[in-house]
Amino acid sequence: MSSWLDRWREYFQTWYDEGGVEEKAREAAEFACRYIDGGAVSVSGGKDSMATLHIVASMCRGDVEVFHWDHGPALMPRQIEEEILRNIAAAAPKARLVVRRYSLGHLEGARVDWRPWYREFFATLQSLGYRHHILGIRAEEGNRRRGRGRVVDRGRWVEVHPIYYFTWRDVWAYVFRHNVPVPRVYYTYARHVGWDRARLTTFHDREFEKYGNQIDSVLMWRDKNYRDENTAKKT
Amino acid sequence: MTPLKATFHLRTPVALGFPWIFFDSLLAHVALREELGERYFALPTKTPIDRIPELPLKKWRGVYAASASIFEPETELAVYQFYKRGDFPFPRGKIRRGSGFFKDFIIRAPYVPAHRAVFYATGELEEVRRLVAKVSALGKERNVGFGAVKGVEVEEVEEEWGLVRGGLAMRPIPVRLLRRYEDAAYLAYKPPYWAKESVDLCAVPFTHVELA
Repeated sequence: MSSWLDRWREYFQTWYDEGGVEEKAREAAEFACRYIDGGAVSVSGGKDSMATLHIVASMCRGDVEVFHWDHGPALMPRQIEEEILRNIAAAAPKARLVVRRYSLGHLEGARVDWRPWYREFFATLQSLGYRHHILGIRAEEGNRRRGRGRVVDRGRWVEVHPIYYFTWRDVWAYVFRHNVPVPRVYYTYARHVGWDRARLTTFHDREFEKYGNQIDSVLMWRDKNYRDENTAKKT
Repeated sequence: MTPLKATFHLRTPVALGFPWIFFDSLLAHVALREELGERYFALPTKTPIDRIPELPLKKWRGVYAASASIFEPETELAVYQFYKRGDFPFPRGKIRRGSGFFKDFIIRAPYVPAHRAVFYATGELEEVRRLVAKVSALGKERNVGFGAVKGVEVEEVEEEWGLVRGGLAMRPIPVRLLRRYEDAAYLAYKPPYWAKESVDLCAVPFTHVELA
């Protein structure tokens, strides 16, 4: 694992210089810093949001607020969630971290019915009252994201995407050059599906079945049979 | 009951839905298909059926003496990605297949490019031989060619290795049946393996255990 990882680290380090990632990061910071006041960096813990957080925390002046949504134990294994919180603290030690947890995220049903998730998530965003949400969304990720643009006015808040023009190579190059901490599970997935396809989403989530998450059952088998308290009582 | 070893010689790699295939689940599948005939394909999908056929395998405190798969030679997992496109009876261009209800599926099939899948068990040799002869493919995505079986050999071995071999659990064993265990996780330990009713805190296959 380590020699494989070392080779890739070397590749991304080279790409950092050849791909002009330093300039891209500087431009992204300049863009993001305008929105810090009254806004928050929304961090899922994935590579894109962690790179965005690192850019903002290291290059912007002023207080940085970080918002993190905890999906709950059924969707996000606790060891990964704990790692994410540690990573956020390491990447932006001075930032004020606001964490909200999905109230149904401890139930097995959260893996099947994601509608309550959306309702609660957006209600939470509204109640927090941030004017700007700084997100790690990139145009390269898909047509829908490409169509959104770098700044999206959602009515109650504005979404800002500083690393919008980064490619997956740029993000990994930034992560490796600046030692931005990302969950280790990335390396397991990257090894099997490739660095361009390795993403951090909720695990064993029916919502992502169409995107090939069957692989979770093999790579994350230990968390497949999640048992909430209700299930444990019944059986 | 005879201690036995079943070796499946494979023509193509085995796609997996879980890191292991369980021998008792394989036999239960064949026995049930044999018993129900065409009705097997109309079973309820959301609730486990009320009766699993009696398998020709030894049972130890409710756990079949049948191991999880051992793939030979030991190789690293690979992933094959393909798209599952719905065969819908709609005129071209009338439905959106890029998003929404009819969206095409990405299937990421993890597979093991192994030559053989080996299982250990204790059971009725002839009956096991008869059942395994009906297995034409192992694992998932069999309809696209994964896991094709070239031939099966069932032979007698000197010791019972269906549960434990050299101190290692050969299958998930509930920890309540163990005196000591090295590693545990919530795993299914009896057929049907997909049902949550079959799940218990079990010793992880191929880790050190001591039976109680």
